[in-house]
Amino acid sequence: MSRNKKLLLILVAVLSVSPTAALAQGRNNEVVIEHTKTAFIKTDVLISELDVLSGGVASADAANLMTDIIGNDLRLSGLFRVGMFEGESDSLEFEFTIEGTVEGPLRDADQTGENAPVTISLNLLSFPQRQLLMNKRYRPLHTQMRSTAHHFANEVIHWLSGEPGMCLSRVVFSRGTGGRRDLYVVDYDGEGLLRLTANRELNLCPDWSPDGREIAFTSYRNGQQALFSLDTSNGKVRRVIGMEGLNYGADWHPDGKELVLALSHGGNPEIYRITPEGKIIKRLTVSKAIEISPSWSPGGRDLVFTSDRTGTPQLYIIDSEGAGRRRLTFEGKYNESAIWSPSGDQIVYATRSGNYTQIVVMKSTGEDRRVLTDRRWRNSEDPSWAPDGRHIVFASDRSGVFKLYVYDVVEDTFRQLTFGDNPDITPAWSR
Amino acid sequence: MNRGRISRKALLIAGLVLLVALVSLAGCSKKAEVETDPAAGTGVADTTEDLPTETVPEQVEPVVDEGPDYLTLDPKDYGVGDVYFAFDQYDLDDESMGILSNNARIIKEAGVTILVSGHCDERGTVEYNLALGEKRARAVRDYLVSLGVSASQLKVTSYGESKPFAKGSDEDAWARNRRAHFERP
Repeated sequence: MSRNKKLLLILVAVLSVSPTAALAQGRNNEVVIEHTKTAFIKTDVLISELDVLSGGVASADAANLMTDIIGNDLRLSGLFRVGMFEGESDSLEFEFTIEGTVEGPLRDADQTGENAPVTISLNLLSFPQRQLLMNKRYRPLHTQMRSTAHHFANEVIHWLSGEPGMCLSRVVFSRGTGGRRDLYVVDYDGEGLLRLTANRELNLCPDWSPDGREIAFTSYRNGQQALFSLDTSNGKVRRVIGMEGLNYGADWHPDGKELVLALSHGGNPEIYRITPEGKIIKRLTVSKAIEISPSWSPGGRDLVFTSDRTGTPQLYIIDSEGAGRRRLTFEGKYNESAIWSPSGDQIVYATRSGNYTQIVVMKSTGEDRRVLTDRRWRNSEDPSWAPDGRHIVFASDRSGVFKLYVYDVVEDTFRQLTFGDNPDITPAWSR
Repeated sequence: MNRGRISRKALLIAGLVLLVALVSLAGCSKKAEVETDPAAGTGVADTTEDLPTETVPEQVEPVVDEGPDYLTLDPKDYGVGDVYFAFDQYDLDDESMGILSNNARIIKEAGVTILVSGHCDERGTVEYNLALGEKRARAVRDYLVSLGVSASQLKVTSYGESKPFAKGSDEDAWARNRRAHFERP
C-alpha cells in the first residue's frame, strides 16, 4: 500500500470512526517507503498559543517552549506541515489543531517557577470541527519541559499516523581527534548534548541496547581493544569481552539478550554472537578474509555483514546460525557498514566511489539501489536508521570536518545534527 | 604521546641525578658495564630534541654511555622504524622487509615487549580500516617472528584511521598514514 493511500485511510478513520480504529489501521499496515519523489501528502496541523491561566513569566515561558518543541517535533517527523498560531500560515489546510493551558505554581510563581511544577493540559482536536481527539495532562518541573513536550508530540504522531513517535530518541556517537575520541549523546533534535566517557582513549562504534539502558562500544586499554558496555542510568562502564586483537562493531540483538560483533583472536576478524556478559555463543563465519560489521535483521533471524573474500568488501546475508550465505551487493568495489532498517525492508550502507565514501539505500533484497549523497557531501559514512525507518543519521565531512547529519530518505532533505570543530563519527540512533 | 614525553622528562631528571652523583664521587666509582648498541644511535641524547630548550641541560653528555633504556624509550628512539603500505594493501614490499630485518635485530637485543599498531589513510570506513590496520600489524608481526623475534615480545593492535600521523587529504598524507608503527605497549 502506498504511503498516500495509507495516510488517506488513516484520515478517513480519524474523521469517521474512533481513535482506536485509526491506531489499528496504522499498525496493521507495514510502512512502505517510496523512493520516488511523487507527491507525498502531509497532514497540516495548527498549533495554537497555549492559554496561560496562572503562574506569570514561568508559565508563559513554559507555554512558549512547549509549543516550539511540539511544532518542531511534528515537522521533524516528516509527516506534517505545521502552522504556529492562526493567521501565520495561510497556505496550509489544517485538519488538526493543538491547544492547551498552562497553570503555574500558586505561590510566588515568578520567583520559584523553576523549582515548582506547572500544570499543562494539551488537547488534540479536529479542525475546524474542533472535536476533541486526545487530552494529556502533565505536571513537569522546569527541567522536564523538553521531555514533556517530546512525550506529547509522540502521542500526537502515534494518534495521527499509527507509528510510534521518535521524539524521545537519542543519538550516541564518537567525538574527538588525535587518538582520543569520547562518546557523546544528543537528543534526536540536536538538543541536550552530553559527554559519556572521559578516559583519554579511542571510544568507537557505540550501539544501544533495544531498551536504551546500555550502550555497547569499543575502546582500548594499553593498546588492546575490548568491548565495553555503559549503563546509561548510572554511567558505569563494564568490560564485556576483550580477546586478543579486535573486539568491535557490536550490534545488539533485537531481543536484547545477545550481541553480534567481529573478533579477530583467531588471526583475522570473524563474526561472533556473544552474551551481554561476554561469553561466546557461536562463531558465524569461517574464512581467511575480513568479515566485519554485522547488523541484525529487525526480527533477529538474519544478519547482514561485510566480507572481502572476493578481494573487495561486499555485503552478505547469513542466518543466525551462520548458514545460508548469500551475496547482496555486486555494484561497486567497496560496500560496507550495512544496517538493516527497523521495518526490515531496506538496508543502508556506505560505498566507496573513487576517493569518496557515499551513503546508499536499497531494498533488503539488493534491488533498487539508490545513492543518497552526491559529491557535494564529500565523504559520508557510518549510517544508522532512526526508529521511524524514514530518517538516517550518518557522518559527513561536507563542511571540512566530520559532523552528523539526519537525512530523510522519503523527501531527500537533510538537517545537520551536531556542530563544532571536533570530528563526530560512528553515530547510532536509539530504538 | 603524552606518556612518552613525561617518561623522557623523568629519564632526563634521572640522568641529571646520576650526573650529580658521578660528579660528587669524583669519577672514582666504577660503573657497571651497560650494554650499548651502536645502531641505536646516541640514546638518551636523542630524546632531548623534542623538549623545550629551557629544560635541556647541556651537561647531559656523560650519561650517553648508559645506552638506550628500552623500557622507557619509544622504539623509534632506538632505531626501530615504521613500515608503509600501498593503498588497500597489507603485504610487505622489499623496502619494508629491509626495515623489518633491522627492527628484528634491535627488538631481539632489546628484549622488551613491543606493540605493533596498524594504521590506514582516511579513505574508506572506520570499521573496515580497523580490520585493514590489523592485517598490516599482523603481517609485520608474522614477518618479525619469521626472523626469529619471539612472538611473546610482539603485541598487535589496530587504530584504523583514528590516529593519523599526517594531516591532510592528499596522496602524501595518505601514504604516510598507511603504516605499521612500533610503540611501547
